[in-house]
Amino acid sequence: MPQTKILLVDDEIEFASALAERLQLRNYEVRTAHKALEALAIIHDFLPDVVVLDLKIPGMDGIETLKTIKKIDPTIEVIMLTGHGDRWSVEAGMKSGAFEYIMKPVEIGELTAKIDKAMKQRLTERT
Amino acid sequence: MEHKGEEHLRLLQLQFVGKILAGFTHEIKNYIAIIKESAGLMEDMVKLDKGQKGKPEQYLEIIRSIEEQIQKTNDLFRYLNRFAHRMDHEFSAFNINESLEELFALIQRVANQKRITLKKDFQREIPSFHGNPSIFQLVIFSFLEEKMTNLDKNSIITVKIGAKGNSIGVSISSEGVLKGEQDVQAMIPPEMRMFALEKLKGTVSESNGIIDVTLPLSR
Repeated sequence: MPQTKILLVDDEIEFASALAERLQLRNYEVRTAHKALEALAIIHDFLPDVVVLDLKIPGMDGIETLKTIKKIDPTIEVIMLTGHGDRWSVEAGMKSGAFEYIMKPVEIGELTAKIDKAMKQRLTERT
Repeated sequence: MEHKGEEHLRLLQLQFVGKILAGFTHEIKNYIAIIKESAGLMEDMVKLDKGQKGKPEQYLEIIRSIEEQIQKTNDLFRYLNRFAHRMDHEFSAFNINESLEELFALIQRVANQKRITLKKDFQREIPSFHGNPSIFQLVIFSFLEEKMTNLDKNSIITVKIGAKGNSIGVSISSEGVLKGEQDVQAMIPPEMRMFALEKLKGTVSESNGIIDVTLPLSR
């Protein structure tokens, strides 16, 4: 399987950079963004396979960001990062084409398992 | 009528506490997530990195980040604890500056998310106000929430506190663009806000979008 390109979108800079580094140590290629518009700009340039998207990012509603990503490339898989109280957002996200969701604080093993599954799905969709 | 008003006010107070707790738990969860990832990164550096990147200064930087998150967590807990104790007595002498600093800290995340800046312009050494501290916070929160709901991103809300003769004035002003669609469903209906304000013997006026709440010092 080719190296998975991940875009990690979260407004908590320390959280995003620590998680990005942990994913890099597991041989993923990772870029980070802290705002919705920044994320959308990076997508055009970086062409990620998987976007890990915090639903509470500033600048644009998380669900709107998700829909925009799917419009840019429907095969990009989106894993939503959420807090416990975001049940409605999770439902809306899944209806809008998200691949999966994961709760904060993140279990790295659970996240990488979901990323790998998402990558397989993307490769299937593209062939 | 008075009884119904009291009941409604209690319900609004519960909703207010719920909103504060939701914001608080969300923020704490974020701090914990950062601590968890930072600790996980140090573990990864030991287990996976085989000593290639894990230099002592990098570990120290991560430890500093963890300490900073613990400090932020502690500060927010302190504010929440003080907020909770505002409900201990229906009537007490309290410092308005401290009470609003606490409210600002507890609603900061909501403001950040809406990309609205909250600014404080508090006169130092303000006399203590005698009244219901919890109701005071509810009234000011209702004005702030309404403004945060109706203002577009990159707006600024300024809360100014100053003593004026025998009263304390809390002025709430804003700079920025109003959203195209106004959300008229403010949490507190205006009549209930007036009901709450009457409990503080306070008055409110609004001119050019500036809200002035006046609270009497003498009783």
